[in-house]
Amino acid sequence: MITVEKIIREERFTGPSRSAPGLDREISALSFPAQSQGMVGLSFGEQHFIQGGIAQDLRSDGRKRLTYRPISIETGVIPQANGSARVKLGATDVIASVKAELGKPSPFQPDKGKVSIYVDCSPTAAPVFEGRGGDELSAELSTALQRCLLGGKSGTGAGIDLSSLSIVEGKICWDLYIDGLVVSSDGNLLDALGAAIKAALSNTGIPKVQVAASAPSDGQPEVDISDEEFLQFDTSGVPVIVTLTKVGRHYIVDATSEEESQMSSAISVSVNRQGRICGLTKRGGAGLDPSVILDMVSVTKHVSEQLMNKLDSEISAAEACEEES
Amino acid sequence: MEFVSPEGFRLDGRRPMEMRQIRAEIGAVANADGSVVFEMGNTKVIAAVYVQNRSQQINDQALVRCEYSMANFSTGDHMRKPKGDRQSTEISLVIRQTMEACIMTNLMPRSQIDIFVQVLQADGGTRSVCINAATLALADAGIPMCDLVTSCSAGYLNSTPLLYLNYVEDSAGGPDFTVGILPKLDKVTLLQTDAKLPIDMFENVMQLAIEGCKAVANYIREVLQENTKQLECRRGT
Repeated sequence: MITVEKIIREERFTGPSRSAPGLDREISALSFPAQSQGMVGLSFGEQHFIQGGIAQDLRSDGRKRLTYRPISIETGVIPQANGSARVKLGATDVIASVKAELGKPSPFQPDKGKVSIYVDCSPTAAPVFEGRGGDELSAELSTALQRCLLGGKSGTGAGIDLSSLSIVEGKICWDLYIDGLVVSSDGNLLDALGAAIKAALSNTGIPKVQVAASAPSDGQPEVDISDEEFLQFDTSGVPVIVTLTKVGRHYIVDATSEEESQMSSAISVSVNRQGRICGLTKRGGAGLDPSVILDMVSVTKHVSEQLMNKLDSEISAAEACEEES
Repeated sequence: MEFVSPEGFRLDGRRPMEMRQIRAEIGAVANADGSVVFEMGNTKVIAAVYVQNRSQQINDQALVRCEYSMANFSTGDHMRKPKGDRQSTEISLVIRQTMEACIMTNLMPRSQIDIFVQVLQADGGTRSVCINAATLALADAGIPMCDLVTSCSAGYLNSTPLLYLNYVEDSAGGPDFTVGILPKLDKVTLLQTDAKLPIDMFENVMQLAIEGCKAVANYIREVLQENTKQLECRRGT
């Protein structure tokens, strides 16, 4: 973390015109440390330190601009769900669960199943999420994830293969309910949730279904759900989400909440294994030059390859660990 | 339905007076002042405590607030409930009142203590688990308390008093006793029950729940001591 000593050095280095009383003010502001909340209150010196560190490619926790925090994945954390995973990214901690239920396909896409993604921000993560306080962020994250993983309204270009969820065309399909829960929040929630959903989906077993052959053509066919046989969900096409946060003139991956408070804008890109973009969201008020956006997108493609490999190895390690226990 | 087999086993394989497996892990939420993951059987909750300095109308004591929420995936069937429904408001109130009884609010004037309890898995007795989790989280946050309040439930099915009902036993329609005690002071601070119970069994069932509370209190004390030892070790004194 930022020490008072470093801040003073930074102050002297960058702002020689600052008078001594100004310095005193910074120190007194630091002696009441920022409340341990999601919304960080940073002093001028701290803000400067974070921005300066990013400009010099050495962030306040020692990382480079394009380095992730250590990721740890645990699968099968919710026994009632068909699949679940808990992802910790530094101090950010999220849980995703997948539940499969039989439903009726929508009349516009009779040969496809349905997937809905919903994220909830628990007040345990930050007191500001109390009551309805987390609703806005929950809605923002849910729509961003839907955009990144489910594709357009027609279901084309979706990261999750919806046609594999169909059972009897136009009659029965699987409805996947994906629920995310933010348990602890220290920035970069979207990437963490994306990784958790990917891990939860690869942990998901969908029961095998036998359809009775003598079903009337107009009525609902009878189905027999197997308790023992499960089909593994194919997750090779599920994209990863990489968020680039722009602070000053540079951009960083996996921003902490302190760094996020300094951002001007952020772009979240979901990239699949083939290096194709499945969805994109821009957040933050400041405008971006189109050439910068192109640059950022090409960087995300590069970063996503590393993240994809890292996630794959973590997920298989977590599943091996789960089978052992 | 038969809830106790002739051999004396319950549906989940426990004996009538057997406790569920308890597990607690302190420090689950990095940003919180105090936090814990608390499991009793298949019921699993996360509790986090945040303390803020805030000047307000009440100047001579701390303000305690509590919010209880259930994760969408916590129960077997799928549901998306809106926040702040009646049941969670009631449980929030129960937890807040129970915790207020043991927090020495006069020692922390002008501060606000927020207790957030999040249910990850519900399999009966969420109230008790939430109270136990809140106690541990408060202790982890270093909030002065006169005693560690603990809670446990007991029920009465097939003419047998049963310790700590799970979801199936709870929904069987028999009485479910939730008791909260201050173990050192030997006082009952919380007592709730629904459904009818023969009056001569009342004392037995309540005594069973109190015994359960004491067992939980012992466990919580052990966890806290272990945690303190670790902290001491890391400090390197």
